[in-house]
Amino acid sequence: MSEHEQIHNYLKYLSKYLSRLDKSSADEVIREIESHILDSIELQEQNGEKPDAQAILDGFGEPRELANHYVEHMLKGTPPPTGFKAIQSVKKGVTKGLYYSMGLFGFGISLLLIIIGLGKLFMPDLIGVWSAAQGNSVIIIFSEDIYPDSKELLGYWLIPIAIALGVGIARLTKGVLAALKSSLQ
Amino acid sequence: MTKQENSNEKWDVQLRKGTLELVILAALKERRLYGLELLKLLHSFETMKITEGTLYPLMDRLKRDELVCALWHQEGESRPRKYYKLAQKGEQKLALLTNRWRQSVEEIEYIIQNPGPQPIEPKGD
Repeated sequence: MSEHEQIHNYLKYLSKYLSRLDKSSADEVIREIESHILDSIELQEQNGEKPDAQAILDGFGEPRELANHYVEHMLKGTPPPTGFKAIQSVKKGVTKGLYYSMGLFGFGISLLLIIIGLGKLFMPDLIGVWSAAQGNSVIIIFSEDIYPDSKELLGYWLIPIAIALGVGIARLTKGVLAALKSSLQ
Repeated sequence: MTKQENSNEKWDVQLRKGTLELVILAALKERRLYGLELLKLLHSFETMKITEGTLYPLMDRLKRDELVCALWHQEGESRPRKYYKLAQKGEQKLALLTNRWRQSVEEIEYIIQNPGPQPIEPKGD
């Protein structure tokens, strides 16, 4: 393998392992390392030595290991979902209890919403959202005894809305749990 | 490598773990250097022969922590190089680490200079 191919292959693998970084940061790392390798080879030639690309690449170490040093700050914890930056400080003191109760709470609400959504499909008269008389409160109900004079809101729209909300909350819970999990290990 | 050299190397590695950041910040004080220059500078000292694989990710971290800033610059016909220099936060950190380093060296030296059997009396007490 020629010197040129060796360097090209090294940078190709490095670039692959740096894919966790955003593209411009990864490109800059590659550009700097390439510049260092080419400068070092020139320097060896100027000193009358035989250019030794492999020795220079050995100094950088395996591409995967080198890339890990660049991305390790990103791997210290799964980044929280957008808008949940505060979780960074919460997760420092995360316990198993918090982790499992968060899971139970999030997935519980999600399941309930999906059941309401599906329930409306099979028992349209029993499940729904009603505005109580005088419009002072909204009731999500599973009952034969509907409040007198109350007016049903949403109707069959409750099915997609409840299911979508349920799925959304489940995904959000999953994201939060992933962010918390790294602190448990 | 002889046993003595091996033991020296181990000591150097241990010591560098805590001091490399200070060394890099000090090397960049009032000068700007690109990676290869910085590496050559460090290699001119016996106890600071770090590898490229250590230097570059460290520079990336120092830049992320806003202790150094980096700028691509092309001089004459040469290829563009990424030059590093101290940022304001880096200068403050350098002053802080320099003080702690000097205090550590003084204290270690004091302990070395005061062997037993007399009890050692910490300075300043």
